[in-house]
Amino acid sequence: MKTSTKLLTLLLLWGMTLPMLGQELSPQEIVRKADEKFNGEKTSISQMAMTIVRPTWERTVELKSWSSGREYSLTLITAPAKDKGQSFLKRDNEMWSWNPTIDRLIKLPPSMMSQGWMGSDYTNDDILKESSVVNDYDHEIIGEELIEDRLCYKIKMVAKEDAAVIWGFQIRWIDKKDFLFLKSELYDEDGYLIRTELGKEIKSMGGRLIPSLLEIIPEEEEGQLTIVKIKEIEFNTPIKDSFFSQQNMKRVR
Amino acid sequence: MNNLNLAWRNLWRNRRRTMITSASIFFAVFFALVMRSIQLGSYDHMYKNVIESYTGYIQVQHKDFWDEKIVDNTFAYDRQLERQLLEDENVEASIPRFESFALASNGPQTKGVLVMGVDPEKERYLSKVTDKMVKYRLTPEALEKIKQDSNLPEKVKELAILFENSAYTNNSRMQLDLGIDDKLASEIMPSIESYTAFQNASIHMGEPGVWVGDKLSQYLQLGIGDTIVLISQGYHATTAAGKYEIKGIVKLPLPDIDNKIVYLPLDICQELYNAEGNLTSLALAVSNNRDKTIAETVQRISKLVSEEHKVMEWREMNEVMVSQMDADDKGGQIMLGILYLVIAFGVFGTVLMLTAERKREFGVLVAIGMQKKKLASIMTLEMLLIGLLGILSGALVASVLILYGVEHPIVFKGETAKMFEEYGMEPKMAFWTIGTYYISQILIVALMVLLAIGYPIRKIFGMNLVNALRA
Repeated sequence: MKTSTKLLTLLLLWGMTLPMLGQELSPQEIVRKADEKFNGEKTSISQMAMTIVRPTWERTVELKSWSSGREYSLTLITAPAKDKGQSFLKRDNEMWSWNPTIDRLIKLPPSMMSQGWMGSDYTNDDILKESSVVNDYDHEIIGEELIEDRLCYKIKMVAKEDAAVIWGFQIRWIDKKDFLFLKSELYDEDGYLIRTELGKEIKSMGGRLIPSLLEIIPEEEEGQLTIVKIKEIEFNTPIKDSFFSQQNMKRVR
Repeated sequence: MNNLNLAWRNLWRNRRRTMITSASIFFAVFFALVMRSIQLGSYDHMYKNVIESYTGYIQVQHKDFWDEKIVDNTFAYDRQLERQLLEDENVEASIPRFESFALASNGPQTKGVLVMGVDPEKERYLSKVTDKMVKYRLTPEALEKIKQDSNLPEKVKELAILFENSAYTNNSRMQLDLGIDDKLASEIMPSIESYTAFQNASIHMGEPGVWVGDKLSQYLQLGIGDTIVLISQGYHATTAAGKYEIKGIVKLPLPDIDNKIVYLPLDICQELYNAEGNLTSLALAVSNNRDKTIAETVQRISKLVSEEHKVMEWREMNEVMVSQMDADDKGGQIMLGILYLVIAFGVFGTVLMLTAERKREFGVLVAIGMQKKKLASIMTLEMLLIGLLGILSGALVASVLILYGVEHPIVFKGETAKMFEEYGMEPKMAFWTIGTYYISQILIVALMVLLAIGYPIRKIFGMNLVNALRA
């Protein structure tokens, strides 16, 4: 009897403190949780469609991507026919591209890093140098806002002095309930808004709740937009590190 | 006895003096004309090189292409529009082109190149690229054979070593570089030609294969039959990548373009950039290339094309070159100005001397009753005759030289030629044929003579008779 009341009070207490705990989460903690949702799993295999929208035309590229941790990823273009078979390998800070029509493996030089990947608004640098949103920034909660009917923390992240990041600061909106990045605004060192990223169509995929549609909107180019739609994704399928090799770039299907 | 007669006799009374004075005018006219002719000739030659091997006189383009030369700014090859353009009286042919940039590589060698998709048949009307295919080349193997040939003079062998790896589109240029004169040519050129003969094949629509510029082929170390890899961005941000067999090597007269050009058959090029059926430009070959006629043609054509297109004239397309030439032209005019100044003082000096020499003569003439007015008019006639003599003989001799020069431009050979080429110029000095520039040059010299006349006239009217008689 005694023990059960004890247990009950404990449970009650725990139950009461839980929301309080949530509120007391430090901004850093919030970002960490959201980041883990986004990149936390060991491996992922996904199929995506990337639509590049330009004022006078648009084009969709379909791709398949394997990744392991932050270090390794391999991406294969599966459509359209003309681009099919091209693959990109990322190992740590280096990136290679394989093009079957010319049988050439090219290591992307630093000069190409700021160019858009496959003509999109996603630069090669974005893919390579995904800096740590947790460790490279100082975080501060600056409010709460509704994004797509979800209540979000609005967090301002200022890059640390010594961090090797290209943004001056970012403002991110993180869903309070499920810790998802729903919106990010990326500013340069002079405080100009350079790019907005939106996470939409939250769905359960591969056993996890994630935004299945990402929009990247560069602010300086009128009418430009890149939409990445995740069609399928599975998490934690074991992939050997040797999968991410130059040989495999040419073989992978 | 009339004044003219007197003046004429006076001239030949002292032949040497007349000759010296008219000689200074002769040289003024001669140098001014020849200098101008060479200047105008070189501009024309350079323009022609660029226009005829590259842009053409008129092009129809997508309206944004000129400002942003990307493959997205291309337009569909519209045969109906082409037919309409061809109906224009001044349009001889239309040459479809697809032009872009790419990264070219052969093994570890890489270079940014200019990719030109052309219809080799139609290029005959404009760039005549088939004429620019390399026929002879002083390859190391060819040099070895030349060295071993005992019939060849030592001098030729030395020059051949200096020009190692040079390519030639015709045998006369090679003959010049090797310092072989025409007499010897018939004897030894055939054997040199056989040593250096270069096998080149054509490219055709629908068949993958490329021509590359001679300098580019040397940089990338590519030869006939090798494979060149091109990679670039195609239409609507697709990947443009392809590998092609080198069918031929061309040598363009513009070293700046020669070191980066890759010719592809038009349809193969469109396929590479995923822009099937599109063109970056439709160049027009014209039958009359005078500035005014071209401007009129542009006006007529602009009415035919839709808003999506833009008609460009060669001046707009070669703005940098046109302003460079303009600057050079101004420099040339300053040089001419200095030349005039020097010559004006020369003419004036001779007149000054002539007047001083004849001071006593003038005094005597006036003393025995000749009117000063009559004397002044005889003097003027004398000077005009001298001027006329100088100008006419100068123009005549200059014309002979210029007319010869038009037919036989000065072509530099040996090391001078190499130096020219290193500066990115063709080792050639062309003349501009007799034209309207004659008038201005002759007028300026005539004006100088007229100014010089002022001095003796003033002297005659201000003459103190006693002083003059004592002189």
